[in-house]
Amino acid sequence: MPITILSAGRRRLLQLLLAAQVLYVLGVAGAGYATSALGQHLQLRAAPINPAELQTGNYVRLSYDIGNVPLTAWRATTPPQRRQQVYVLLHTATPDSAATVAGVYDQTPTASTGQAVLRGWVETVQPRRLRLRFNLERYYVPAASPLRREKPRRLHPLLVSVSVAPWGQARITAVQLRRTEPRPDTAHTQLQH
Amino acid sequence: MSRKFLETETPAWVQDGLITEAQRQQLLARYPAEAVAAIGLLPLLGSLLLGLSVLSVLAANWQALPPTVRLGLMLGSLLGAYAAGNYFLRRGNRSVGQGLLALGLLLFGVDIILTSQLYQLVGYDASGLLAWVVAGVALSFVYESSWLAALTLGIAAAVQTYYAWVLGSFSYATALLSLGGIGYYWGRRPSVLLGQVLATVVLWQAAALVAVSHSKITWFFIPAMLLYAVGDWLPRAPAATRALQGPSLVAAYLFTLGLALFGETDQYAGLLRPPLLAYLGALAGVFVVSFIGKRRQGRLASLPDWLLLLPGFYLPGGLPLAVATLVVLYCYAGAVLLRAQRATDGSGPEQLTLGAVLFVVATMVAYFRLTWAFLDKSLFFLLGGVLLLSLSWYLRRRNAQALANTPPAPDERKFPPTT
Repeated sequence: MPITILSAGRRRLLQLLLAAQVLYVLGVAGAGYATSALGQHLQLRAAPINPAELQTGNYVRLSYDIGNVPLTAWRATTPPQRRQQVYVLLHTATPDSAATVAGVYDQTPTASTGQAVLRGWVETVQPRRLRLRFNLERYYVPAASPLRREKPRRLHPLLVSVSVAPWGQARITAVQLRRTEPRPDTAHTQLQH
Repeated sequence: MSRKFLETETPAWVQDGLITEAQRQQLLARYPAEAVAAIGLLPLLGSLLLGLSVLSVLAANWQALPPTVRLGLMLGSLLGAYAAGNYFLRRGNRSVGQGLLALGLLLFGVDIILTSQLYQLVGYDASGLLAWVVAGVALSFVYESSWLAALTLGIAAAVQTYYAWVLGSFSYATALLSLGGIGYYWGRRPSVLLGQVLATVVLWQAAALVAVSHSKITWFFIPAMLLYAVGDWLPRAPAATRALQGPSLVAAYLFTLGLALFGETDQYAGLLRPPLLAYLGALAGVFVVSFIGKRRQGRLASLPDWLLLLPGFYLPGGLPLAVATLVVLYCYAGAVLLRAQRATDGSGPEQLTLGAVLFVVATMVAYFRLTWAFLDKSLFFLLGGVLLLSLSWYLRRRNAQALANTPPAPDERKFPPTT
């Protein structure tokens, strides 16, 4: 049987509990807002895993070019393990403004100007390549987004804008179509998806 | 007792002189027709429909609303549900009040998920869901509501499943908070239903841990039997003890049954063999804890439960393993039947039914495993039918004898909670 009439002490506890719940939700929103307001902005090449998801679902799953790196980019003494947390050092000052991988580390590397660090996790270790994920693989497409009006076939090359907060949290701020033709080496990786 | 039953049965009672016509009318007046109850449901149904219409309008336009409006709506409905729940509880309407509080708790989780989506924070990280479990535990304590405690356990199980399934990891914080918090709550105000939910969620999370760590699945029985041993130590009524121990026993029984059915191939048995010394050492440790607890509480009669934990899977696969497992299944069924005959707490009939069912299951498994290979198909079915029919006749007779000897328990027709 639950208590029907709360004592003064329990009433106080309940008020605190409700305030904490409201503050928590506001805190999640605040963290999301602060990540884009205070964070470092960078752009990543990506492709939708299944372009038809834009018509059927409310989010699209993304596959990042920097999520598929050669093992030669691994910069640690011990071999990479599945589910290990890693730090990807990125060159952001590239001609087409899309970041490229400078190296994958198991400790936070120091980024100089024109570089950024993105946190990721090892998904699979293949004989010559490393597959990574970044907690950015799902994009909830707003109803007003021009992506919604695209024909599925045209959606392959995407440019994803990401903000990385000083405390490491990253979030997608926008996704747009990449109009330029992909370079031959990236075209090769995209064929694998 | 339903009105319909009374209306059809009571004329015969009057004819037999059990009751007078006046008493029959009194009885009928005591249970008014159910139309009244149905009318009482109408406002509830109406408000449900209204709520659904509001919800569908919001869902259709959700994406078009500005973020601040969305946040306001989410927090407003959260606080509204809690306030309404509190209001109904204060007026003494327990079921509606608790239902609304539960809705508030569910809305908190929905708010966390939707806000994360709003700011594209959802990926593979679910640490935000931990706050949901914390809120559930705290709310259960504030209202001392077993219903909310059970809901919190359900939420914790869902969060843990998400961790295991999507992230491939185990959340120790979720396990510690939900099982520690609600376990402590159950310790202070034990109820049979909450005990069952608690035990089931403990096992669920233990299974998630074993699955995520890619250990041999038999390691699952160490935490499961540890929970069983906890039940042995707690000085509770038999029903509460069975509620806590039941899920562990069901899991162990199903495992043994699976071993009897599929254990013949060495390949399957090979999947089950953890390092011998480590596993047996851990199991023996738990057994000693359970044994001491049983002796202190005077429950040594339930010691044969441990038969199900005999690590037969270390035997070489093939016939020896199948036969050994069948012997264990028969011994367990026999032990339950024996315990039923000696039961003094009124659980005898329940246990007898359970024992009979276990006996039939063991016989069927034995028959299918051992006879199929040696007999012509038609003879196989003929013998099987005869065997099961005679077995059911024998068990029915014993059941009737036992029922005549024991005073009837109020819910003797129900299955025990352990099935």
